[in-house]
Amino acid sequence: MAKNNNQLERLAEAPVEFIKDGTAFIQKCKKPGNKDFLKIVRAVGIGFVAVGIIGYAIKLLHIPIRYLIV
Amino acid sequence: MAGFRLIELAKPFAPLLPEVELPYEKIGFDDKVVYTICAALIYVFGQFPLAGLAKNSGLEEQGSAGAVLDPIYFVRGVFAAEPKTLLEFGIFPVVSSALIMQVLAGLKLVRVNFKVRQDRELFQTSTKLFAILQYVVLANVFIFSGYYGTALSVFQIVLLNLQLAAAGLFVTLLVEVIDKGYGFASGAMAITTINIATNFAADVLGVNQILVDSEGHREAQGAVINLFQSLRSSHKTIVGGIVGAFNRDYLPNLTTSLLVIALAGAVCLLNNFRFELPIRSTRARGVNNVYPIRLLYVGGLSVLFSYVLLFYIHILAFILVQVVARNDPSSLLYKIIGGYASSNNLLYVPQFPLSLLTPPKSFIECLTRQPFTPFVFSAFMIVTGIWFAGLWQAISGASARDISVQFKDQGITLTGHREQGITKELEKIVPVASTTGAGILAILVVVGELLGLKGKGASIIVGVSGAFSLLELITAEFQQSGGQSALTQVLGVTGA
Amino acid sequence: MSTPTPPGGQRTLQKRRQAQSAKDKQQKQTPASTRQAGFGGSSNSILKLYTDEANGLRVDPLVVLFLAVGFIFSVVALHVVAKITGKLF
Repeated sequence: MAKNNNQLERLAEAPVEFIKDGTAFIQKCKKPGNKDFLKIVRAVGIGFVAVGIIGYAIKLLHIPIRYLIV
Repeated sequence: MAGFRLIELAKPFAPLLPEVELPYEKIGFDDKVVYTICAALIYVFGQFPLAGLAKNSGLEEQGSAGAVLDPIYFVRGVFAAEPKTLLEFGIFPVVSSALIMQVLAGLKLVRVNFKVRQDRELFQTSTKLFAILQYVVLANVFIFSGYYGTALSVFQIVLLNLQLAAAGLFVTLLVEVIDKGYGFASGAMAITTINIATNFAADVLGVNQILVDSEGHREAQGAVINLFQSLRSSHKTIVGGIVGAFNRDYLPNLTTSLLVIALAGAVCLLNNFRFELPIRSTRARGVNNVYPIRLLYVGGLSVLFSYVLLFYIHILAFILVQVVARNDPSSLLYKIIGGYASSNNLLYVPQFPLSLLTPPKSFIECLTRQPFTPFVFSAFMIVTGIWFAGLWQAISGASARDISVQFKDQGITLTGHREQGITKELEKIVPVASTTGAGILAILVVVGELLGLKGKGASIIVGVSGAFSLLELITAEFQQSGGQSALTQVLGVTGA
Repeated sequence: MSTPTPPGGQRTLQKRRQAQSAKDKQQKQTPASTRQAGFGGSSNSILKLYTDEANGLRVDPLVVLFLAVGFIFSVVALHVVAKITGKLF
């Protein structure tokens, strides 16, 4: 019984330990500065939206085809 | 070779499977951009309606109560799958077979000696075979569930099978073309990322008009376009138009779009969290640098893995409830697993207890009708995500030991540590980083999904983190190629 | 064998090192993925499936792209045929 309890305790402790480690790690992490962050967001955002619009243009091709055949 | 090995099963099929040739010489940067974009655009173009369906499978006419509807709508976004098209299952079989096989090999459940060339080839062939097999099996599950219509002729069944299987084969090959070095990094990720970007653009800026009610009113698919349109339209007041633009539930609205953008921003922010280890060269004095370890060490793969499991669970339930029990409320399977209720004549919403693992359609519905879903669903996402991240960082060739070997080869050492201490020091950081990152990402997905994004939250997270992983490789490659590219000058930004 | 070697010192260090390197070797012997074995493939945040050239029907990448487009258009053609003949199925 004691062993069982021990195991349960350990199971309950695991998430606590995990969260503790995690927060400690995040605190030690280097966070991007405001300016850097904006730069990255802009670069990725433009790329993402540009690719999205190209893809969407292809998807628009479907509409006349669908209209013709259905 | 003692014992039976699973990958040997693929041996007889190996000569039959198409195999893309490795490039003879290194592909230039521009060519890679073209190949990647072409492959992804062909994929997007492949979302074409299946031929041979029963005629009345359109949105408007499908009024019959017993119709089988889309049971996996909330995972489609992540796997770039479009209902009732050639890409019914999107890229799911490719991704799932890759992840599952690699995880099984990592757990030593499938025995592969990756040092032997033959074994690697067999492993690769079996992964491909598994992917194509899944396409075929899934196609037949959907055909026999009545999803494509209840009274299909034999000819129709054969035709549907052919189309879905061939589409699957081509998706696999497109992925392979990119993977083999003609495109950037990973085919699966490039295709999903570009597809998710496409869906995002369509949801926000889509101009195509969709019939929304029986009176023949049409609204734009894009939330922003819709806002402007309803401000100008005659049958709505301005206030009504704005309110409608924010909370229409049949098409993307501004609220969900803003949520998606917020999630994307959060992922961007998290992607730039990194732990910087001071390193110095053992060969040259005074060369100090930092080695960054990202918080999202496994990127979006942990979310992808959780969604692979989610897909399997829901497909299994769909087989049991729909194919076996015909969604009959009086059957035992229905009572145990929970059945499906149709919604908007478009979606098949799982009922309790299956609904525990289903993201709700809206936040209000989540509170009123599925009060336990937040707990079970988030627990599922977090536990599977963290478990996968912990495993993946160890087996994917980027574990603490691999990095320290790499350091040794390059003549780098951690400042303030002996050579033997590097592995230990890294072991304190890498697993923590990957599991913590996966945990946070899972929470982000859960928040998005519980607010009713119906898969869009998860897909934007996978998409943006995939974009970051790809971008990192692309910039590295761009610098390697000497920064000379005619395309980048024209486009400004290349395929993110 | 005349005098017992004192504890510690050169030999122990050597032994430790040997044990360490043997352990390392053993760990290395069973790589869990293609990349861990040092042959490319999936990395920590990239899912890369196909890196080796296995046996099979060799196809050129351009052929794959064209065949894929051709396949899609054959489906389009199927739609057209179905429409023209009214009820094909």
